[in-house]
Amino acid sequence: MDFPFVKEAISQLFSKSSCAMYPAVPSEAAPHYRGRIVYHPDRCIACGMCERVCAGGAISRTIEKTEEGDRVTLSFNLGSCTFCSHCADFCTHKAIELTGDYHMVATREEDLIVTGSFIKKPPVKKAAPAAGQAKPAEAAPACAVAPREDGKPVSDPSRCVYCTLCAKKCPAGAIEVDRANKTWKLDDEKCVGCGTCAEACPKKCILM
Amino acid sequence: MFKKLIAESTAKSPWLFHINAGSCNGCDIELVSVLTPRYDAERLGFKLTGTPRHADIVVVTGPVTKQSLPRVLRAISQVPEPRCIVTMGSCPQSGNVFKGSYSVAGPLSKYVHVDVDVAGCAPKPEAVIDGLALATKILKEKREQM
Repeated sequence: MDFPFVKEAISQLFSKSSCAMYPAVPSEAAPHYRGRIVYHPDRCIACGMCERVCAGGAISRTIEKTEEGDRVTLSFNLGSCTFCSHCADFCTHKAIELTGDYHMVATREEDLIVTGSFIKKPPVKKAAPAAGQAKPAEAAPACAVAPREDGKPVSDPSRCVYCTLCAKKCPAGAIEVDRANKTWKLDDEKCVGCGTCAEACPKKCILM
Repeated sequence: MFKKLIAESTAKSPWLFHINAGSCNGCDIELVSVLTPRYDAERLGFKLTGTPRHADIVVVTGPVTKQSLPRVLRAISQVPEPRCIVTMGSCPQSGNVFKGSYSVAGPLSKYVHVDVDVAGCAPKPEAVIDGLALATKILKEKREQM
């Protein structure tokens, strides 16, 4: 009589189990695992790009007017999230992070919502000297314009082709481009200075 | 004495019933990996059953489509009390990317009381085991109240 598997069976009896003994042995997620969202309100500029690219509609942004400025609150509903990382990829200021934490178990739906808020101060309006500086630039459109001090974009009219790509990409809708009259206008109050327009410009004529 | 023995053993071995309510199959695959030898939830007492009448825990995956809604409710109503309903993945909690579709009737919490939500798309098997462990705890509390 031949028992071909006896040796194998006996060795398997004394070998270590191939099972992952999860609750007893803690387990870490693989590197680059996309788990619970961590939001850094201190880095956020409230441009709204994350809300725009979210496929599951998990992100909502509310703006409250307070005395110090606008109170911006972003909430991420993990119960509606696909963890695709689009929001983190599109965030120009790296305010959204997907961590390796996969323990997202809750008995109430509110426990799965990650929120954060910050106060966005209104832009400091500069007096006459700033306006005086801007005027010579407008008067001499042939030369390249100087970048602005407040971190907002400015277009170089000598290179701009008025393709309107910047206006289409702007998450705040702050740019207005008129192709017929060849004008490029920026709404300073709407602009958050995210830099999406400068990135989108095919001629690279927007300075930040 | 027999009653006590039965109560103790049922608390330690809750049986699962899995409902696919229009899922993309991602969560179903993860649930299978929880029950098969790699994560082996059967060593913790969880056992997949083929009929809702034997189940203690109902695991629902998918955004609850209009086609599946009457079947889901019928299957859940056949589960004897105390029962625990676990939603797996983002879909049954909110509809996820399918929300607003003409064929989606979810979220599930509109129709039945959901005890445990396991978020993720799809959740890791470890997270599912955590969710089932929490469901067992809730089930025990419900049994004591009865």
